Amino acid sequence: MEIPLIFSFFCQDELLAFGVDIAPPLISQTAPPVPQIDVSGLTKLYGDLAAVTDLSFAVRPGEVIGLVGPNGAGKTTTLRCLAGIIPPTRGAVRIGGFDMAHDPIEAKRRLAFFPDEPRLFEYLTVDQHLTFTARIYGVAGYEEIGTRLLEELEMTDKRNKIPAELSRGMKQKLVIACGLLHSPRVIFFDEPLTGLDPIGIRRMKDSILKRARDGAAILISSHLLHLLEEVCSHVLILKNGRKVIDGTLEEVRQRFSEQSGDTNLEDVFFRATGEIKEGT
Amino acid sequence: MIASALVYYQFNSIKNRLLTRVKRLKKPNYLVGAIVGGLYFYFYLLRNFLRGNRAPFSPAHQDLIQSVGALVLMVIVLLAWVLPHSRSALAFTEAEVGFLFPAPISRRALVNFKLLKSQAAILFSSLLMAIIGRGWGGGNFLIRAFGWWALLSMFNLHLLRSSFALTMIMDRGISNWQRRAIFLAVIAVAIAGIVLWVRATLPAVPGGLDMQNTEGWAAYGQQILRAGPIPYLLFPFRLMVAPYFAANFLQFLLAIGPALGIIALHYLWVTRSNVAFEEASLERSRKDADRIAAVRSGNWRAMRKPQKASRPPFKLRPIGNPAIAVLWKNLISAGQFVTARVWLILVWSIVLAAGILRSNAGHDGGIQIGILFFAGMLTAMSLFSGPQMLRNDLRQDLPATDLLKMYPMPGWQIILGEVLAPAIMLAAVQWLLLIVALIACPPHFQRLTLSLPARMGFAVAAGVVLPFVDLLAMIIPNAAVMYFPAWFQLGKEAPRGFETTGQQLILMFGQIVVLTFSLAPAGVVFAILYFTIAHFIGMPVGVVCGGIAAAMILAIEAALAIKLLGGTFERFDLSEEVL
Repeated sequence: MEIPLIFSFFCQDELLAFGVDIAPPLISQTAPPVPQIDVSGLTKLYGDLAAVTDLSFAVRPGEVIGLVGPNGAGKTTTLRCLAGIIPPTRGAVRIGGFDMAHDPIEAKRRLAFFPDEPRLFEYLTVDQHLTFTARIYGVAGYEEIGTRLLEELEMTDKRNKIPAELSRGMKQKLVIACGLLHSPRVIFFDEPLTGLDPIGIRRMKDSILKRARDGAAILISSHLLHLLEEVCSHVLILKNGRKVIDGTLEEVRQRFSEQSGDTNLEDVFFRATGEIKEGT
Repeated sequence: MIASALVYYQFNSIKNRLLTRVKRLKKPNYLVGAIVGGLYFYFYLLRNFLRGNRAPFSPAHQDLIQSVGALVLMVIVLLAWVLPHSRSALAFTEAEVGFLFPAPISRRALVNFKLLKSQAAILFSSLLMAIIGRGWGGGNFLIRAFGWWALLSMFNLHLLRSSFALTMIMDRGISNWQRRAIFLAVIAVAIAGIVLWVRATLPAVPGGLDMQNTEGWAAYGQQILRAGPIPYLLFPFRLMVAPYFAANFLQFLLAIGPALGIIALHYLWVTRSNVAFEEASLERSRKDADRIAAVRSGNWRAMRKPQKASRPPFKLRPIGNPAIAVLWKNLISAGQFVTARVWLILVWSIVLAAGILRSNAGHDGGIQIGILFFAGMLTAMSLFSGPQMLRNDLRQDLPATDLLKMYPMPGWQIILGEVLAPAIMLAAVQWLLLIVALIACPPHFQRLTLSLPARMGFAVAAGVVLPFVDLLAMIIPNAAVMYFPAWFQLGKEAPRGFETTGQQLILMFGQIVVLTFSLAPAGVVFAILYFTIAHFIGMPVGVVCGGIAAAMILAIEAALAIKLLGGTFERFDLSEEVL
């Protein structure tokens, strides 16, 4: 059977796309010691309100870290600080070894941020979005990459459509195409599965894993704990803007297992944040 | 039960909206805006109103004006059957659609709710129209306000019912164009019949009736409106406009009865129909929400038509200064409404009109001076109105600040790219006006002589200086967005009311003051160079050299401002500013 082209971009192993169990990301033994995402003492204040307080963590190439926490824990603020959208009040963020405060251009060149709501320019077509993004990031030969991305995202027939003519899922796909055009080494996802259909969800998971295997450092903020369990190698739990715990999934599970062997991320979440789980 | 819930919702919505507006006056930007907006409305509307009742329409013309009013109303009502192109859609908000459509509420109750809701807007509009109308209509304020209310209420009901009928026509497979063709053909036949009838009964135009004899023309007009079937056709419409034109309360009481009767008939007509409007209303609520958000963010063009893809102004290569990408993006945005064809037609019309006027101007140069003055006035006005009208810059992109801030670009490049598009468009319009002025400018006017080199010199100087003035003029409102973001709140949560009018007036005043100050150094340099060089070499050289030097000063100012704003943009935190 001929493997559809759409799967070739998202997973090196085409079988993954056909429902075969997805293996957790491989952490390369030869990964460079320098973290791609390095956060130290990150604090963000809005007046007297501390959205994030003294947050430190690191993500190395090939690692996928899940950022979880109750509503208002500071996840989105953290992501926005990491992506250089808002300046932190204190602390430092280094992306690919470049300090976001002192060398924001080089830091931003290496990252892509996918917000929960697709942000697009209402008057640019799909093709024009790609052209615009290519110029911003200086992607030579973007036409070929863009065409391949659109084919893989099944958007070839939407090239001349403006966002108003696209469904939410299609808009999300366009944001993904634009974000991947410059082959980022650091990727931030804020609720990446919102608005996607089951096929899109599967492809998104595959894409995240494939990128991690290729050496990207990935941070995912999501309330979908089962997604994080499937794709993340590490997890970081936030509450009231402070880090409760971080580490590999296994470490975190062990820490909150309370002698029961089958602790899942949901149990960990409730125990770590002190929230009461319904039915317990 | 349900009616009381809907009334409760409507009452509390209005009450809470008013309370929110009062509460936000605690913030200085709203308080100052409210004071300025209040003064504006007082001087332009209320002062006129408080001066007391003016004399009503002249009794001699009362009947004619009433007939003309009825005729206008008839045309508007007929248009309600021709123009609409979509299925009947009652305007509900997205929240109302979400709460009310799935609720156990009958279609009739929804229509009643919609009518009740529209009454708030009709009452406000009636009061406003009565206040505005005192300048030209005079008469008793209350009579005028109730007159407007009767007219607007009837028209609102009629529009609703006509949209229901059009939906039923569409459901039978008749397209908009078929319906319009049939309807217009019927109207054309009716008009032809009426014209023939009127011509048969109407006396000839009185001899010696010249254009200056307005009384004679008024009397003749009245005769036409009384001829043939016209009085019968206008009768129901005269009944509707009669309350507005009532000269006293007694006349009003006599006139309001029939008008209320027509409104009641319309009400029954609307509520007895059973047309499915839900689907169209659903779509409309979404579009309205988008449109409101766009308009409140300053994108007034979104009111005109749905957006379509437009061609890029030039091919954007992937390698190069990213600021050009922002310019390219904003030109595409502008291109949705200002196409190449529009530019071509505009250029040819202006050049052709100016050329014709010049060739027919004779020797006194009066028309040419008029054109010259007109072009100059438009250019000067464009410096202040241009930045308000052309908003394809940071003001348009403020909701996408997150996106812009993620790009690997220094802040100054983003600011430069943002302000370039409107500045270029404004400069293009001004260059057109310059060409017109150059063509129109006569070599002699009274005792003043302007040689061709002198005229060319002024045109070149202005052509060089204006783009940089435009750049500065565009930087100012973009700087205002950066430094006072709370005054530019966008989206559905954006504030409304006369406070925002006041804020806009303050910003416009600020724009004029800052632009004037920023032009001063360039003006001084121009004057020094012009007078010096003109004295020794000649006026044409002086004006060109002065213009170039002034343009350089303005370029330096613009560069400094863009650099400064770029730094501000890099530190800009919209979430913090709005909190």
